[in-house]
Amino acid sequence: MRAIEPWVLGPLGTFVSESQARLALLMTTSGQVVAQHGFAGSLDLMASAALGSGIIASTSELAVQMGWEPFRIVMHHGSRRAHFLGWFDTPRGRWIALVVFSADTKLGLVQVFFERMVEELVAATPPEPGQKKEVLAADFERELNASLRALFGR
Amino acid sequence: MSLVNFTTREITCKIVYYGPGRSGKTTNLQYIYGRVPEARRGRMVSLATQTDRTLFFDFLPLDLGVISGFTTRFQLYTVPGQVYYNATRKLVLQGADGVVFVADSQARRLEDNLESLQNLQANLLGQGVDVRSFPIVLQYNKQDLPADLILTSADLDDALNFRGYRSFAGDAVRGAGVFETLKGISEMVLKRLAASGAGVP
Repeated sequence: MRAIEPWVLGPLGTFVSESQARLALLMTTSGQVVAQHGFAGSLDLMASAALGSGIIASTSELAVQMGWEPFRIVMHHGSRRAHFLGWFDTPRGRWIALVVFSADTKLGLVQVFFERMVEELVAATPPEPGQKKEVLAADFERELNASLRALFGR
Repeated sequence: MSLVNFTTREITCKIVYYGPGRSGKTTNLQYIYGRVPEARRGRMVSLATQTDRTLFFDFLPLDLGVISGFTTRFQLYTVPGQVYYNATRKLVLQGADGVVFVADSQARRLEDNLESLQNLQANLLGQGVDVRSFPIVLQYNKQDLPADLILTSADLDDALNFRGYRSFAGDAVRGAGVFETLKGISEMVLKRLAASGAGVP
């Protein structure tokens, strides 16, 4: 389990153990990963975040087009596993949860513990950290050039 | 918006390739995907129609390595270029840290380029983004086509680049300008992040 900020780990850990979810991913609405449990490769995790936020964005927009409130929860049921996607507001902005679960648990349980996790996250959110102004590293451009050269084999 | 993890010293930035339909946005990402070592990139995700036109977005995560002490990752997205997909473009543009505008250099596509550039500015303004200070670079793609079919980079600068963005000539199929464009937008995004006081790089 990993998180951008450590205070997220407690509520996410409780959610995973109580709901018996296989995978859980918290992300921003622009597809940036905030925390995850169970994903092996960090880069596939990013693709999952991009797709999850895309699903929420498109279904919410579809609801708005219909004149409805944006869907807060979207479910995809597979034969063995299911996806649960839900957005929620925190003091740090709107986040999205992507949860993968199997027949070991039930949608109702996932939903109940999802709501509890949201409450715990909102309660646990610390104030925004002060800005950590640092001087632009003198070797920034050289390191960026070296990284891009390495990426493109030039 | 960039995500910065001070504990693990990681930065993740979102860059969106924008431009009219068939200008070469997906080709830029495909070239990057093909040239970058497997360990430094994730799977390229393309949500496309049956005829391979981008329907929602293409997505390519890229690991730039350690820059100024931060493990730096870029998430590259494209948008669908066709005029009628504007709702989708707005969604993909949300939270972008920088935009590469891929223009089609063919003279007959000049109006399409202008329309798409205006659409980009309208969508950024709609999201409260100040286009004067937001990182944007232009790529004049398809400069490899016969000279009588295309406008030169100087012509395209005159026609499109009234804000004085950095611009690059490109041939995304063969890779010319792709690397330079990515480097240009990377520099702008990371320097802006540093200047914003986020503490990096």
